[in-house]
Amino acid sequence: MLFALPALAVIALLVVYPIVYTAWLSVTDAAGAFVGLENFKTMATSSVTSTAAINTVYYVGASITSQLVLGTAVGIMLNRRFRARGIVRSLTLIPWVVPGIVAATTWYWMLHSEFGIVNGMLTGAGLVAQPIGWLTNGRLVMPAMIAINTWKLFPFVAVMVLAGLQTVPEELYESARIDGASFWDEVRYIMLPQLRPVLVTAVLLLTIWGLNAVTVIYVITRGGPANRTLITPIQILRQAFEALEVNQAAALSTMYFAVSLIVVALYVRFVATRDDEVVS
Amino acid sequence: MSRGACVIAIGLAIAGCGRTASPEVIWWTPNWGQTRATELVRRFEEANPGVRVRVEVTVPDGLPTRIQTALRSGSPPDVIDAQHGWVVPYAQAGLLQPLDDTVDARDDYSPGSLDYDTWDGKLWGLPYRIETHATLYNKRMFREAGLDPDHPPGTWDELVDAARTLTRKRADGRMQYGYAITGGGEVGNTLFRSLPLIWMNGGDILSADLTRDTVNEPAAVEAVPFYTDMYLTHHVSPPSTLQDDGLASRRLFIAESVAMYQSGQFDLEPIHRENPRLDLGVMMLPHPRGKPTAAALGGWSFIVPKDAPHPDAAKRLLRFLCLPEQMGFFTDTFPARTSAMSLPRFSDPLLDSFKRMLPYGRKVPPRRNWLQIVQVYFDNLQRILLKDTTPQKAMDDAARQIDALLTK
Repeated sequence: MLFALPALAVIALLVVYPIVYTAWLSVTDAAGAFVGLENFKTMATSSVTSTAAINTVYYVGASITSQLVLGTAVGIMLNRRFRARGIVRSLTLIPWVVPGIVAATTWYWMLHSEFGIVNGMLTGAGLVAQPIGWLTNGRLVMPAMIAINTWKLFPFVAVMVLAGLQTVPEELYESARIDGASFWDEVRYIMLPQLRPVLVTAVLLLTIWGLNAVTVIYVITRGGPANRTLITPIQILRQAFEALEVNQAAALSTMYFAVSLIVVALYVRFVATRDDEVVS
Repeated sequence: MSRGACVIAIGLAIAGCGRTASPEVIWWTPNWGQTRATELVRRFEEANPGVRVRVEVTVPDGLPTRIQTALRSGSPPDVIDAQHGWVVPYAQAGLLQPLDDTVDARDDYSPGSLDYDTWDGKLWGLPYRIETHATLYNKRMFREAGLDPDHPPGTWDELVDAARTLTRKRADGRMQYGYAITGGGEVGNTLFRSLPLIWMNGGDILSADLTRDTVNEPAAVEAVPFYTDMYLTHHVSPPSTLQDDGLASRRLFIAESVAMYQSGQFDLEPIHRENPRLDLGVMMLPHPRGKPTAAALGGWSFIVPKDAPHPDAAKRLLRFLCLPEQMGFFTDTFPARTSAMSLPRFSDPLLDSFKRMLPYGRKVPPRRNWLQIVQVYFDNLQRILLKDTTPQKAMDDAARQIDALLTK
């Protein structure tokens, strides 16, 4: 027990203190006086908060779904034998390796409607007549953010899936083939069931990362236009560092922390701990 | 924030250790004026033996937070350069010393600048730098479109006509746009470009006493479409409008994709540097027929924190820095004192229209929640640009949200 003490002290300092301090900020005003739930009321009644909450669910949900589908498909593909497999496996990792702020800035200019290379290629090839307003069209901007976020993190799922597939015993495939199973049968009845623990962990991590992610959206749109891409973490950031309402930002953080905790707890309780699969 | 205060406080405490009794005034000034500030300190110390000044350079990113932290830390510097709009909120929080005993020749200062720094009958900052926007235009494009570059548009109607004429397909097949408005990026950029239109039309975002919002009253709502229609109806602003801020507009102008845009004189130098062949003209901001023009007044003031360790030496430094020749030397744009304006560096003909805009400069409301109010206004302006809603409905929604901020 004594051996754990230094580690516990560090955890207390780095994890517990910020949480307690944020909770304290959320019930005080700028001068440090106790104001009860005033800050919570202000944030909960603001119309921007509900917009941001809906956007967050959309952004995180759609991102995870597409990251999972694309990542699993690529992982299964990379597990097959083909020429230059090593090179393709390395290239797949690039989006994940590129620093978030670099990737986001690059995408911002690539999607610019005047200077962007994406529109340059589309109009140059004659596929579209007018440049597409990826970041200025209210209906396209959130899907564009989700696509960039998917691009950024699908390699993580692919690597997890690839690692998971290495542990599947070859005998399972052999006996399936003797029974006349096709490739798709192997995917459906061998790979996906065997990958379940890996995917459960991947979804948990993607959820936590997704709920905390600000870089892509903040760099590219800052939550605009007209709050179309405003997610709660960016709202907290704006409230704290642009409006300088630190206490209201703390109240919103506390609420967001509680909701995130519930989501993750429910997931761990009902999905991640079935039979012998324990994520902890 | 309190930990930041601690770090700065400790830093200042260490910095203060081992100093002799002779006062050392610490002056926080932005990085772009560092060389000039050092030169001014040399001149000052020469004329005032016994007082020493140390320049500490600040950077614009996060500066309001940093100043606020220093002001609350209990051991701030003696003199700080702050934007006009920050001065009165600091004073209202009881963080500054009044400077009525330090200002000389009040009549020589631009009235708008003194007004910015005045609250409760006292002067809380000494303005030294002032500026407003004007409209920059490409003379070659004017000539090619059959317009007279020596008689640029003066009224709103003339501006729209010129912008429509200037919007056309260029010889290389790419589009050229007449007038770029901003609708994205830096929130403050769009405020500085659209609020003056509301002012010209007799409206405002807040009432004069700052207690009531007026953004959905007819004078304001009428003016908003003049801005948004450049993009929505006349199509004279580029398709990227919703992601363009001031910097993006300048890039489009430098690339000669845009014929006119509104900005400050700080854009002249980058334009000359990046496209020396661009035939540049500057006009005053066009106004509604029969009503005067208006612009947002920007710039910087010196402030002395309430807890400044050496207030007397600090005020001596300020009296020196506010002499016309020193102020004229130090400012990046225009000096707040009229007599300093006669210095040779302000005689560039391209500055004429900027100079003539100065008397029409108005202060941006100094209010604690102002940045949040601006965000609300900006979000709703974007809704108009996205064709989500009409100007009246957008401004009604803005008014409702601003109301909630005002009652706090």
